[in-house]
Amino acid sequence: MLKEINVALAQIDCRVGDKEHNLRVMERHIRQAKQKDTNLVVFPELALTGYMCRDLVYELAEPIPQGESIRRLEELTKKEHMYAVFGMLERSEKARATLYNTAVLLGPRGFIGKYRKTHLPTHSAFEEKRYFRLGYQAPVFETDIGRLGLIVCYDVFFPEITRLLRLKGSQLIVCISASPAVRREFFETLTVARAIENTAYLVYVNLVGVEDGLQFWGGSRIVAPNGKIISQAKYDEEDLVIGRIDYADLERTETFVPVLRDLRPEFFDFLKEQVENL
Amino acid sequence: MIKLRLTSDVLKLDLQSVEARTRSFIRDYVQKVGAKGVVLGASGGVDSSTTAALASLALGGHAVLGIALPEEETHSVTDAKHAKLVATKFGFKLETVDISSILRSYFHSLPVYDADDKLSKGNLKARTRMVCLYYYANRLNKLVCGSSDKSETMVGYFTKWGDAAADLSPLMDLYKTQVRQLALHIGVPKEIVGKPSTPALWPNQLAEEELGIKYETLDLILFGLEHFMTTKDIAHQLSLPERLVDGVKKRWLANEHKRRPPLTAKLGYRTVGSDFRLPCMPR
Repeated sequence: MLKEINVALAQIDCRVGDKEHNLRVMERHIRQAKQKDTNLVVFPELALTGYMCRDLVYELAEPIPQGESIRRLEELTKKEHMYAVFGMLERSEKARATLYNTAVLLGPRGFIGKYRKTHLPTHSAFEEKRYFRLGYQAPVFETDIGRLGLIVCYDVFFPEITRLLRLKGSQLIVCISASPAVRREFFETLTVARAIENTAYLVYVNLVGVEDGLQFWGGSRIVAPNGKIISQAKYDEEDLVIGRIDYADLERTETFVPVLRDLRPEFFDFLKEQVENL
Repeated sequence: MIKLRLTSDVLKLDLQSVEARTRSFIRDYVQKVGAKGVVLGASGGVDSSTTAALASLALGGHAVLGIALPEEETHSVTDAKHAKLVATKFGFKLETVDISSILRSYFHSLPVYDADDKLSKGNLKARTRMVCLYYYANRLNKLVCGSSDKSETMVGYFTKWGDAAADLSPLMDLYKTQVRQLALHIGVPKEIVGKPSTPALWPNQLAEEELGIKYETLDLILFGLEHFMTTKDIAHQLSLPERLVDGVKKRWLANEHKRRPPLTAKLGYRTVGSDFRLPCMPR
């Protein structure tokens, strides 16, 4: 496993419902990232289709990994010997109208795995539970570039999911997002908190552009385990920023603030009891 | 999975039930608002005749005022006769307001007016009709009852803030061919139901000619799209070129802006038109 890796934050403006256009943009970014000696390129939530697809989700979703779009991107990550994370609409193989908001991980040997969003915002301008089924798994992927855990946007508000991924061994949490500008402060705070409280690297990649009145703010970033922002993309504009992750920082930070050592298992039981009786 | 078969059968209505539900919908809303009835544009076409007839059946003819809004370029003696025929049959009052002089004032007052720009001029007519209807509604404490159908609403075949502007639109969930069924069921005269539709925005304008498709076919395409069918499947079932069905779909999607409140930038806590989700409580 590599001790240090370069990560590209591919902060793109997607065209709603136009997979062909978005695929071309993603392919271009993967090639550009490769030229800059990058190991992993990360795209936003639902980058393949845009976020505000509403009823078009049913026709845009694809099965994972059999879908055509994955096949196409897989070819490229194989050819370029790269890792990539991106968001897409996933259609269940067993029930065609059952959809997921999914993050996909591809690598030099093709499809590696997926994570289905576990917290679906259905409030304010968001209507995800209308369309998506909740995910129930939080896998950690053992790769040459580290042990990766994936989360999607609103998941970052729930410390439990990142904690679970960290306790399962993930050192690098990748959070893909479609966050509108009115929520910027929340995300800027929470991405730092999730990294510090878990002694983990956190890569956050957000959309930019306007979809149906929602203005995505960009601001993608890499947060070090000590909470320091080591790379930051522009606000409100497309950007491709590359940052370096040094896994040795994990141990240094953990020695300084040993949050994992000091975890108290009994609190998880108390939490469960209380949540069930909210 | 049960395959959806696109035949005219899928557009057949339980006419008694649809009539009853439409009538109670009109009655309920007018009562809740506390209005004294409805005003509606009476063009003599099938949509407005059916709407006026249903409103009269729901509220009584005394609570319904039909307003014919002809203008010199598109005036049709037959349409005027048909509007009168429906008013007499269903017992509502009919007034005629000739909007020609209002339009002429617009033409003279607008520095960029261009007589050759048929569409802008036509839309001005539809919006002028809307202004007149709302004036009557305000003066008489009535509501404006729209008569848009689902076919034209889906493909955007209407004037934004013009003919589709209304307080309630009882037929907006019925395709044109379904409106025709309902019209015959409630007794709208056959000559009105059978004649070609026109928005009357310019002389000799015919809806099916302009849309490039018969309503019988359009409605089946739209029904398929409503039910999440692919354009390929719809085209195959109806033996139509796929590009025709794709064209209808594109038109449907491209006109969403006409069916919604104006798009706004989300800046605040709850946003009008997006995530203020309030019940319609008119009083």
